Amino acid sequence: MGNGRVVITGIGSINAIARNAAEFSTALKAGRCGIGPVTVFDTAAFPTQTGGEVKAFSPQEQIPSPFYGKRMSRADAMAMAATLEALRDADLFPMPDDLREDTGVVIGGGAGGMLEGEMAYQRYLCGHVDAVRFSDFSAFCGASSADHIVSKLQLWGPKATFMTACSSGATAIGYARDLIRDGMANVMIAGGTEPLARTTYAAFNALKAVDPEYCKPFDRNRQGMSLGEGAGIMILESLAHALGRGAHIHGEILGYGVSCDANHMTAPDPEASGAARCMQMALADAGVEVAAVDYINAHGTATPANDRMETIGIKRVFGDRAYHIPVSSTKSMIGHTLGAAGAIEAVASVLAIAQGFIPPTVHSAVPDPECDLDYVTEGAREAALNIVLSNSFAFGGNNTSLVLGRYTPRGIGHD
Amino acid sequence: MTKDVVVSGVGMVTPLGTGKEDFAGNLFTGRSGIQPITAFDTSRFASKLGAAVTDFNPKDFISIRNRRRMDRLSLMTTASARMALDDAGVAITTLNRDRIGIILGVTYGSTDVAARFMGALFTEGPNLVSPILVPNTVMNAPAGHASIELGFRGINSTVNHHEVSAETAIAYAAAEIQKGRADVMLAGGADIFSAFFFEILTHFKALSPMDGQEEGARPFDVRRNGPVVGEGAGVLCLESREHALARGAIPYCEIGGWGLSSSPAPPTDWPSDPKGPVLAIQRALAAAGLLADQVDYVSASANGGRKLDGLEADALSRVFGAQPKQPLISSIKGALGESFSSGGIRAAAMALSIRDSILPPTLGLKTPLQPLNFVMERRMNAPVVNGLLNGFSSGGTFASMVMKRMDGSTGLDGVVR
Repeated sequence: MGNGRVVITGIGSINAIARNAAEFSTALKAGRCGIGPVTVFDTAAFPTQTGGEVKAFSPQEQIPSPFYGKRMSRADAMAMAATLEALRDADLFPMPDDLREDTGVVIGGGAGGMLEGEMAYQRYLCGHVDAVRFSDFSAFCGASSADHIVSKLQLWGPKATFMTACSSGATAIGYARDLIRDGMANVMIAGGTEPLARTTYAAFNALKAVDPEYCKPFDRNRQGMSLGEGAGIMILESLAHALGRGAHIHGEILGYGVSCDANHMTAPDPEASGAARCMQMALADAGVEVAAVDYINAHGTATPANDRMETIGIKRVFGDRAYHIPVSSTKSMIGHTLGAAGAIEAVASVLAIAQGFIPPTVHSAVPDPECDLDYVTEGAREAALNIVLSNSFAFGGNNTSLVLGRYTPRGIGHD
Repeated sequence: MTKDVVVSGVGMVTPLGTGKEDFAGNLFTGRSGIQPITAFDTSRFASKLGAAVTDFNPKDFISIRNRRRMDRLSLMTTASARMALDDAGVAITTLNRDRIGIILGVTYGSTDVAARFMGALFTEGPNLVSPILVPNTVMNAPAGHASIELGFRGINSTVNHHEVSAETAIAYAAAEIQKGRADVMLAGGADIFSAFFFEILTHFKALSPMDGQEEGARPFDVRRNGPVVGEGAGVLCLESREHALARGAIPYCEIGGWGLSSSPAPPTDWPSDPKGPVLAIQRALAAAGLLADQVDYVSASANGGRKLDGLEADALSRVFGAQPKQPLISSIKGALGESFSSGGIRAAAMALSIRDSILPPTLGLKTPLQPLNFVMERRMNAPVVNGLLNGFSSGGTFASMVMKRMDGSTGLDGVVR
């Protein structure tokens, strides 16, 4: 039953413009920008000072006590908050006992617990190894967010963490969908989490990839990304399982693709070969024709190279139809959340499908002749969406594209 | 319809040598890769031993153009990937490169580069951080470098999940072959140890001798007192049986199936209840269509840690203890130390055990903690038809994988590869 279909029954997100998915939807429709001064660490010595920070996040108050742990990093706590939201949304909270063995967790990350791990390095470098706290060190391996979720929710299913820089969150969702299809689990908690941290902030500044003001995706005067933070989590289930328990279905994971540029460690392939293949692999996996895609949630970091490359990639895949598909970058509102980006953007895509709108690209005012697609710069649009493609491209030439669809009983396009 | 997945090539850079013949020779004759550390001063620490890679010349494997962009971790990974492709007889061309990929497990990544990067950040300030260091600080750098050097452009990903990263990566890559999403997948794991990392591990008493007694790696032994740190890279070449046979390759073995599970342990600690690892083993046996008494050999995850080894012994007793025929069990971490994403090296060792019908010894195991059927400090000669590879990690994540001999291609009964 269900033909290996995997559906989304819960979503949760915390980011620069929202404390939960409902606020996220409102803010996306309003085109609200959450990029401003960074306060989680002192930015005075850095070349830039802005980012998409999660405001007033107080884990101890926002996460009920049995699910909060004092050793949680900021990344862990954001992941836990989004997970609890998604489980409630899926009507799986508290988690039924009979699901625990068949429920797993896959998380994508970038810096992981580095906001705290940096303290360990700093103390070590100052010769105070004795002052390094175990909780700081334990944050070094990206696995800690998934470990905390499994531990606090008492689960026994598959668990994994992906670290492919900016494509991690999308890969985590794709892999979790595979695990359900392959019969390894009935329910998966999947997504990504990312903190603002000095390490990543310094790294992208060193690469001169950061806009000192706020990012302007696809704008002719774009100067780079704005770093952001947050978490995006989805509850995925086999269709049969979701129907069996009468769950509300938000949408469906139709397919995904993963490719590699094999060209350069930090710069995208100017010919967009890797990006184009990745989109094609995702569409082929989903069994979706290019004509059926209604909206592309772009990687759209606002670096000069990415936006030019991504535009070329979309044209390579969609041909003339590229000019008729709305393409937008939600990073213009929340910044680039690195390892969480693919997951938060998947949540945005699900909201767009479920509520019939296309999120805008804000702050994109000056057209670039090299970026000549429909970037939805005038504000959010109302639109009935059946199929959305969400792109994530990363350091290392790691590309992942997800195809998400509106849920219909017979499958979108088969009604 | 899913495809059968076979292991058609192996490559590794380890403390027991670089390349399969040196590695197998040293492993099977019972040599230890554990030595006093010479790369940095250990005089301040209780732990002084490590299993370091010493016999490795990157020039033998990697072009000068890309070599200078890589750190040690990426060099070892890329060399292992090249060896695995060469061993399998796969040449990358413009026709096949989009159908060839890699999934790699990395636990701590380039802690040496990360320490240099942070050293500049925290002593000289953000304006003086070198952009040159940035690419090698990300966990997916080794897989990225390997793809650039070797030219494969298919599926590419990096699993970062403690000591079970590589086993998870291999299972994911095998699933991609099963589904026909790739023709050839490289899969395995790599980690290094650095001065910074070693100091932190010793500070938290994560290494032997935790009890102040004699230092050493003693998997499953009553006197075990913590793991010895290791390093290295190991990569398998996976493809479908039909793809391998169509090009005339003779695979080492088949991936029979795998099981993945968790346990609600405190993060970074171990569960006391063996239910999680038992589930992983049982799921792997079910996926491979095996009964417990059909398993000949278990390559264990035990590293000399007090909790891990007890947990694994409990899980093995629970799955295999009640039956008359019990599998032989060894852990090669007595010779190689704990290299975190060790599953690539350990899976390659399993492939070589299946090929040669030799079970490697468990160095350091003199008095077993439980009466299981251990391969002690001497190797054993025995055919492996069904081998089980265990990957257990702190924080409670478990992967078990069945690796099966392919009839007629390997082992005592006939063709030597």
